[in-house]
Amino acid sequence: MSLIEVKNVSYAYNENSVAIDDVSFDLEEGTYTTIIGHNGSGKSTLAKMMAGLLEIQKGTITINGLQVNVDNINKIRQDLGIVFQNPDNQFIGSTVRDDIAFGLENKLVASEEMEAIIGEYVAKVGLSDYLDYEPQNLSGGQKQRVAIAGIMAMKPKIIIFDEATSMLDPKGKKEIKQLMSQLSDNHITVISITHDIEEVLQSDECIVLNKGKLFMKDKPEKVFADAEKLRKINLDIPFAMQVKEVFRNHKIKLKANDLKGMADELWQLNSKR
Amino acid sequence: MNNLVFGKYIPIDSFMHRLDPRAKLIGLFVMIFAIFLPKSWWAFLAIGILVLLALISAKIGIRMIIQSFKPMIMMMIFLLVINTLTVKTGDVLFTYKSFELYSDAVFNTLFVIVRLLLMISLTTLLTATTKPLDLTLAIEWLLKPLEIIRFPTYEVALMVSIALRFIPTIIEETIRIMNAQKSRGVDFENGNLSAKISSILSLIVPLFSVAFERAYELADAMEARGYVPGAERTRYHILRFHLQDFLYVIICVLALAFSIYTRIYL
Amino acid sequence: MAIKFKALSYVYNKDMPYAHKALDDISLEITEGVITAIIGETGSGKSTLVEHLNALLLPTSGSLEILDYELVADKKIRFLKPLRKDVGLVFQFSEYQLFEETILKDVAFGPLNFGYSQEEATQRAKDALKLLNIPEELYNSSPLEISGGQKRRVAIAGIIACDPKIIVLDEPTAGLDPKGAKQLIELFVDMNRTLHKTVILVTHDNEMVYNYADETVLLHQGKVAYHGLTLKLFNDKNMIKEYDLLEPQIVTFRNQLKEKGFKLSDEARTLEKLAEEIKRQIK
Repeated sequence: MSLIEVKNVSYAYNENSVAIDDVSFDLEEGTYTTIIGHNGSGKSTLAKMMAGLLEIQKGTITINGLQVNVDNINKIRQDLGIVFQNPDNQFIGSTVRDDIAFGLENKLVASEEMEAIIGEYVAKVGLSDYLDYEPQNLSGGQKQRVAIAGIMAMKPKIIIFDEATSMLDPKGKKEIKQLMSQLSDNHITVISITHDIEEVLQSDECIVLNKGKLFMKDKPEKVFADAEKLRKINLDIPFAMQVKEVFRNHKIKLKANDLKGMADELWQLNSKR
Repeated sequence: MNNLVFGKYIPIDSFMHRLDPRAKLIGLFVMIFAIFLPKSWWAFLAIGILVLLALISAKIGIRMIIQSFKPMIMMMIFLLVINTLTVKTGDVLFTYKSFELYSDAVFNTLFVIVRLLLMISLTTLLTATTKPLDLTLAIEWLLKPLEIIRFPTYEVALMVSIALRFIPTIIEETIRIMNAQKSRGVDFENGNLSAKISSILSLIVPLFSVAFERAYELADAMEARGYVPGAERTRYHILRFHLQDFLYVIICVLALAFSIYTRIYL
Repeated sequence: MAIKFKALSYVYNKDMPYAHKALDDISLEITEGVITAIIGETGSGKSTLVEHLNALLLPTSGSLEILDYELVADKKIRFLKPLRKDVGLVFQFSEYQLFEETILKDVAFGPLNFGYSQEEATQRAKDALKLLNIPEELYNSSPLEISGGQKRRVAIAGIIACDPKIIVLDEPTAGLDPKGAKQLIELFVDMNRTLHKTVILVTHDNEMVYNYADETVLLHQGKVAYHGLTLKLFNDKNMIKEYDLLEPQIVTFRNQLKEKGFKLSDEARTLEKLAEEIKRQIK
């Protein structure tokens, strides 16, 4: 049994707009999955259904053996955290420590134990010096890190990132992407909905959605192998893949997948001449 | 909007900052009575000294207190003018043509002004040394008895604390939307009635639509972190009364007793 | 007629204990008719600089000459409306400025404020909407009920419809998907090339800067750290290192190729051009 099983799920906001159309896939425990697709492809709708924030209209989602529905949702949420797009709209407490405490209070953690837990997780996201900061004095990236600490403190098995980097500056983006990798290394199942095509490369698996339908689900290299297919659905490929593609069009086949490797290959071609 | 001093928390550490917010809140209520009861300068002198001591122990600069008085100055001048024109009791202090200034007019005004100054100092003292969140906790505690009639004190306190947390965010948002509309030729200061209405709409409509969006997203975020309305929760902040908190309340009560004494016997 | 900052400083909360100098003695002349990017870390003063361009902020000291107007410290100005018409500011997440009942009305709102007649304003709105690829059947829908990408384009149309001479864009593509972002930025490039509009682009996206901006202003702690050709800045390893700039990927790749021994010019902005240069050397 897989950790997450999505079976024939559909969702429509109204008759004219089907957001998710008969989507099925399984995700294994400990994998880092990115979900990509153009604006309006249904990515966020899917994430919200997994977290039980939208009612599933058709099909089923099973998480850790429990079907996502009203009866099970409180139990499922103990295993699942979600980081949203807007850093401001998920900062609930009035300071960093209060925000991390919010989830712990819901989990009925005793007051005396909270201080230690807050200290531990705030350190994990590198914000130990910011415990008493208020949200308006934190950068977007820092706020997102607080949200992640708050979720990690609840020890979930799965963390969903719903475009969590899209409103951040490059520095903030980088920090959050590093954290996602770290989480994945610590055997947390990471699901990241993203526009950042470069982020896909650091994931184990990639799901491509198009107009609410599952378009592809494969390893990132495989997904990016056919650039034209992706461009047809308004997506692009990572820079390294673009390099490969451009040289292929010039009848130069490169084997490496990283820039350094490709530079090496090109120089060898040059030396052979 | 950022220049507002009144009601602003000053994030430093001091004796007053460390007091239990409940003690400070009760203290404020007691002192308000102490200020409004007496008619003797002795009482005001005693209370004034206490307030001054509290301000010093809170490490609040005189500058800040003066700042928070500023909005009241116009009102005080207005009061003085009204009183000099209407109050005709006491001794005549000074005559100019047909105008006579009576002593009671001056004293009445001074009484009111001193009371106002003391009130403002005390409120500033509370808000400057108490985090809004702690204040919410204190109010929640005071409202506890209402739970008998099923008043949801906890939910209300949570609502208030979230509202407080979003005030700076919404101010920022307001400035941003105003700037955007100014760039589209909106003049928020001048213009006729219909232009005024349209300029206000251009601010209010986006502000509301963003606020609703925020509310939905916040609700999602709270739910996703395991918040279930009405369900049992533990508390991170637990207020504890210490010796100094008792002492503080006792001092305030003594001040009240003194001012009652002066009212009756002096 | 250029945009000239003369020893301009701006201080937030002046005279308060928490005063903050956001712009520090800026002297800068932004070239007319080109695309200039303004880059720098969060808090480096980019937004403050831009808000001076149409007098949302007035200098604390120094002055700004823009088109035929001049902003001087502590001096009330009387030409607010013409200045704001001539300098169009598209804010970050501009979709949040929409408020009218219909899309057409919302786009015509700016032109009406700037004194165009109802007829002219509506015509300008229609032209701008067409330019931004908003389908005609949506003109009478509520701007609050369309998709996020469309909202953004409607908001931008609202500025374009005022026919500004200078267009200032603050992170115009944030949150859009790659294709939407590309279409939008290319629209502004086109407006620059064909209509000769001066375009000022405030962004964190150095890929976009490298691809499209002729010149770049780098702000650092309220001061101008660099102003000049974009290509020169990003090919200067010392500058990249000193200001911790995110290097455009093509520059990274080119540097790796150069290290191997390729002789390459710094001119190529696109992979295609770079590949051609390399091919010439290999064959």
